[in-house]
Amino acid sequence: MPIENVILTTDNCRYCLMCRHVASVEHVIHREALSPHGIALVIASVQRGLLQWNADTVGVIYSAADNGNSRAHCVFDQPLPEAIAAVRAEIVAQKLAPAVVYDLDARFKEWGNPFKQQKPQPVAGRGEVALFVGDEAQYLWPATVTAALALLKAVGISPVLVGMGRSNGYLASSLGLPETARRLAQATLADLETSGVRRMLVLSPGDFFTFNQLYDERLGIDWPASVQLSELTTFLADCLEGGEIKFKKTTQRAPYAYIDPSHAVRLPARHAGPRRLLARVLPGPARELFWRCERAHPVGSTALQFTQPDIAEKLTLARLEDARQSGAQMLISDDPGTLKCLGDKASQFGLRVQGLYELLAEQLD
Amino acid sequence: MVTDQFLYEMIRSELAEIVGPEHVSTEETDKLVYSTDWAWMPQMWLDRGQKLRTPDYIVHPGSAEEISEIMDIANKYRIPVVPWGGGSGTQGAALPIFGGILLDTKRMNQIIAIDEQSLTVTAQAGIIIEHLEWAVNEKGLMFPHYAASSNCATLGGALAPRGTGTISTKYGKAEDMLLSMQVVLPTGEIIRTPPVPQHAAGPDWFRLFLGSEGTLGVITEATMRLDYLPEARLLRAVLFDDLSKALEAGRLMMTHRLEPFVIRLYDHASTRTQVRKILGYDFSGAYVVIGFDGDPDIAALQEQKAMKICTDLGAIDLGREPGEKWWDHRYDFYYPPHSLKLPWMYGTTETVATFDKIERIYWAEKEAVEEGFADQGVQFIGHFSHWFHWGVMLYSRFIIEQPPQDAKEALRLHNRVWNAAMQSVIANGGMINEHHGVGLKLSRYMRKQYGPAWPLLLKLKKTFDPNGIMNPGKTGFGF
Repeated sequence: MPIENVILTTDNCRYCLMCRHVASVEHVIHREALSPHGIALVIASVQRGLLQWNADTVGVIYSAADNGNSRAHCVFDQPLPEAIAAVRAEIVAQKLAPAVVYDLDARFKEWGNPFKQQKPQPVAGRGEVALFVGDEAQYLWPATVTAALALLKAVGISPVLVGMGRSNGYLASSLGLPETARRLAQATLADLETSGVRRMLVLSPGDFFTFNQLYDERLGIDWPASVQLSELTTFLADCLEGGEIKFKKTTQRAPYAYIDPSHAVRLPARHAGPRRLLARVLPGPARELFWRCERAHPVGSTALQFTQPDIAEKLTLARLEDARQSGAQMLISDDPGTLKCLGDKASQFGLRVQGLYELLAEQLD
Repeated sequence: MVTDQFLYEMIRSELAEIVGPEHVSTEETDKLVYSTDWAWMPQMWLDRGQKLRTPDYIVHPGSAEEISEIMDIANKYRIPVVPWGGGSGTQGAALPIFGGILLDTKRMNQIIAIDEQSLTVTAQAGIIIEHLEWAVNEKGLMFPHYAASSNCATLGGALAPRGTGTISTKYGKAEDMLLSMQVVLPTGEIIRTPPVPQHAAGPDWFRLFLGSEGTLGVITEATMRLDYLPEARLLRAVLFDDLSKALEAGRLMMTHRLEPFVIRLYDHASTRTQVRKILGYDFSGAYVVIGFDGDPDIAALQEQKAMKICTDLGAIDLGREPGEKWWDHRYDFYYPPHSLKLPWMYGTTETVATFDKIERIYWAEKEAVEEGFADQGVQFIGHFSHWFHWGVMLYSRFIIEQPPQDAKEALRLHNRVWNAAMQSVIANGGMINEHHGVGLKLSRYMRKQYGPAWPLLLKLKKTFDPNGIMNPGKTGFGF
């Protein structure tokens, strides 16, 4: 985002308080400076010489969750997350970002992901449909991929796997590393070209947002018009509706809740799909979190897990407490990053976590 | 302001012992962000690159007991305590103009009980109003304080300045929904007001805290009245060519107790500018949205009678769509880039009066502002939106699109416009405001507003707050 647009956005947001009701970080930390308007005011105040970039101000800028809540609830669609990402890039360029950001940049450049010192696997084969695996499914919740392949097989699709072990570019963009993010994005696009696919399925709303919106808005990269993008959850819900896939019910009767993953608020049309699928396979009573659907809060799976791990943990714990209060005993989600965060802490709340795709694959009829 | 560094650290340590170190901040970012609320004055000041007085400490208490202990510290060292809810006030009531302890109550955000038999909710005062609404919606109920600031303001912040909401015409102001509350006094005592507001056990002293804006204590918990979510909401719009007739239509609806939940009457200037900009309608005249809710049959009958009043007075029935569109977009007026915002100068000089005076006030204020500041290109717009059986609120606003760039000059001009507006309001029998509160901005008019009764309020302040620690400089009370 050019600097004039950053100024326009932060000047619009610095005194606007209208998205506080969905400001996930402020809800768990309570500091006004960490609210969307507080972050915008800090940026505007640096621009006006009232503050300087230092550990305090940079810490504020790196405390934004970048999960889309503020923008999704802005009547006039102010791109504050994009402005914050642009400001982070300026901070990185001035060598003032937290040390972990530079470490992560090196990891992305060397390994294509922040989780494991392993190169991404090259795309193998060609076909009509691709499944984007990415780094989180590959390294944080690998059962997702096996289950997704079984589900797709049931509807007669053998997808080409792309981006295996490689980040989609969101994290790098969010951290203020646009060039690194562009490199990762170009690698994904090269995979698509090599495989010749016409459609790409993704495993999470975060992937969908990244390819569908972030590439264009933050990185200036066009998504290929010849490749249709779909979220696997939505695709499966449509298959269920059309009778192309069938599931049997489990014997599991514990109350359960679907956890809308990080970034779910960016896709307002997706909320019914996973719930329809779960209602088909789970006879137990469905519970709902207070923070759900259009007001869903993220877990700590965004860049916060690296830059502000305390805040990231508080976000995850807040989701688990919300789930506990709903009366659910089993939590289900589809996004591998969300599942990892929940899975690491769920036992503290007496809760079990299961991947949506694994559950569905087990119940294929 | 605590200037001695040794003492500064000592007090910080004491505060941290009470609330925990993670709930005390002295970061420069926090100090700057908490140095302004939603008032134009401090925002303009920062916008021009000028620094404001900041709090010395930002403290996030978790309970009334912790606030009580903080009061002990403030009294011991004679340092100000400024309560903070959502910071969405327009009058500068939350500005820490003398430094001290800024008490952000948003950590106290729990719902304690929802009583579905009595239709009440008890919650901590730091809860965001919209969160409270979502929670009671899940039980088929509503908290009918539908303020434009519901997304960002707190329950305590609705009560302390006597706030109101979009549907107040039927459901009342926030204070009308209040049954009881817990308050921490400036001297540290934690008290509870009687469990119900309507009784005859002596004077109605609990109302002293409503409108006190943190100068007489900190509201920490409140029990509020709820209502059932309405089965039907019928909205419709009409257009009058004559403001007087539109006001008369509203008066007749109220005095005949038709119970509209909303009558939003935009004057010609607002219709021409605000309504066109946000809703896209090119109406010429006074655009009025009227709404009835509850039982569908009763609401339909009420609407039918209201429409007869309007058409008898010459209104054009615009149908449902312009009413429903307004309802769906009623808060869009407050989102940038279409809200009033810097670098413009603006102010909401809202007032309330009885029906016999309100139109005179409108014209007098309009004349005072438009003629007094014609050289500044001032615009005056207004709407009438909170109606009572006896009168109505005028939400009047002034806008100057090219104010002076020098911060001091801009502030002086701003204060002169306010003086002109308030003098015309008081001279014609209006109150200096209906629901935004007094804060810092209107403090200077309190003596004139209350006349011989004002010293009594000063004595009450001294009794409640002998060391003058609570939100000094606000609601007419000095330091």
